[in-house]
Amino acid sequence: MTATPTATKHKAFSLSRVSAIASNTLLELVRLKVFYFMLLFALLIIGSSFFTSKFTFQEQFQVLKDVSLGAMSIFTWLLAVLATAMLLPKDIEDRTLYTILAKPVPRFEYLLGKFIGVLALLFIAISLMSAVFMVVLYTREQDALANAARYVPDNALPDQLNSIRAASFNSNLLPGIVIIYLKSALCAALTLLLSTFASSWIFTVIMSVVVYLIGHIQPIARQAYLDSATTSHLTKVFLALVALIIPDLTSLSLVDDIVVGNAIPMLLFVKTAGLGVTYIGVYFLVGYFVFSGKEL
Amino acid sequence: MSTPAISIQNLTKIYPIPFKREKVTAVQDLSLTVEPGQVYGLLGPNGSGKSTTMKIVLGLVSPTSGRTEIFGRDSTTVESREDVGFLPENPYFYKYLTGAETLRFYGKLCGLSSAKIRDRSKELLKLVGLENAADRRLAGYSKGMLQRIGLAQAMIQEPRLLVLDEPTAGVDPAGSREIRDLILDFKKRGITVLLCSHLLEQVQEICDHVGILNHGVLIREGTLEELISIQNQTELILENATPQLLAEIHTLLGKSNARLVEERKPQKTLERYFLDVTSSPPS
Repeated sequence: MTATPTATKHKAFSLSRVSAIASNTLLELVRLKVFYFMLLFALLIIGSSFFTSKFTFQEQFQVLKDVSLGAMSIFTWLLAVLATAMLLPKDIEDRTLYTILAKPVPRFEYLLGKFIGVLALLFIAISLMSAVFMVVLYTREQDALANAARYVPDNALPDQLNSIRAASFNSNLLPGIVIIYLKSALCAALTLLLSTFASSWIFTVIMSVVVYLIGHIQPIARQAYLDSATTSHLTKVFLALVALIIPDLTSLSLVDDIVVGNAIPMLLFVKTAGLGVTYIGVYFLVGYFVFSGKEL
Repeated sequence: MSTPAISIQNLTKIYPIPFKREKVTAVQDLSLTVEPGQVYGLLGPNGSGKSTTMKIVLGLVSPTSGRTEIFGRDSTTVESREDVGFLPENPYFYKYLTGAETLRFYGKLCGLSSAKIRDRSKELLKLVGLENAADRRLAGYSKGMLQRIGLAQAMIQEPRLLVLDEPTAGVDPAGSREIRDLILDFKKRGITVLLCSHLLEQVQEICDHVGILNHGVLIREGTLEELISIQNQTELILENATPQLLAEIHTLLGKSNARLVEERKPQKTLERYFLDVTSSPPS
């Protein structure tokens, strides 16, 4: 070991550095035992199946989808906010951030690595929840098919079996789950942005929850104030600004359509996903802009 | 003339106080140079601007005015950090990683290949005496072990400059001695060290150059010898001197203009005594 100049040529962007930070972030989050909530999720949807045993099979499938997709939406949101909020403050408090940024690591790569780590965690979480949901839905479908085979007369059986299959699995499920994932990723990007200037992770969580609520009530506020003739010009400008900064989170959900079995047009899916991806990108870039100038 | 390891020119850092018009000047018009191979001790009381200066050198904080360079490269650029290893005060690192995994993580951040990381990790774990703890999680490391793995991660990409902030803070005397020996070893290998410490005795033992900051201003700077030698006094330490020899020296002193300031038995440091008595197993 001698003090000779290093021969490596610094790369302005390195996927290897980003993946090192991302995989370490994922490991850090997994070690926080965040997957315990999976048990809660499994209990919730299995439990909901018991309460609906007296319903028709269509109602049973509707309730199961409603509860499962709703729970997925809430759990991934909670996970996104809580996991992201503590990432930067913890690295600063433990001074690990100093040791990382004192290496030839651009701040953009550090932040991107952290964000990808959270996205990977959310992906694993939603995949696991989807798997549990699919297994329960499949079991209920097989139950309904077996009952139909036993009690429905032969001449009506083919139609009955088809309607059971149509009511359980349909092509809407996947786009619906993708949108739930994008919504949680958007909340993670927003939380990351807040944590770049927040003084504590609790503040970040509170702010993130507030923004989430604003995102859900703003269509009601828009309808009430923007369409009203008595609303002042200043209020309208303010509301328009809020609507621009915080997306309408109710539009980032296809759960209602999936539950009632409405077909989701491709255009609607692409537009919804595009809105989510755009906001994720914007929030991340603004977060980077704040973080790049942060005095550590 | 070689390029300085660290060059700081007219550096000023002013922090605004939120919601107030007042501002705090952390560093004021600081200029200093650390030549390659030097072990430079940056001293100063709390709030004197040491940490701010160090953070600016590492690009963690941006200067209000002035310029800092590492081996001729602007220290605000990411590239300049290829040549720097940093150990912060009381580092925690990721507790769920083992010593070897920690070095692999930092090696990847430096863009080293897997083979290079393997070789360097093995070499550094041996150097810092953590070969047997390489596969243990950092959560089970003692304070001294954490500092040593911190030194190893700082050295992973073979930097020419090491920046150490209180490297022995909270470490017991034996661990502290090991870290000091490591720094002296790095010095022998030609690595430049910038050391910030409150432990003046330690700085005196390790550093060859010292700068003293107070209220953000560099008030003294130079080699240790220049700064602390009493120029008109001479110290003789004799071993096995007979009473006759001492009497002759006193006679000679009486005939000269020199004045005997003090005559006493030299003492070992308390630290040396502590290490001597604790290094042997209990009888």
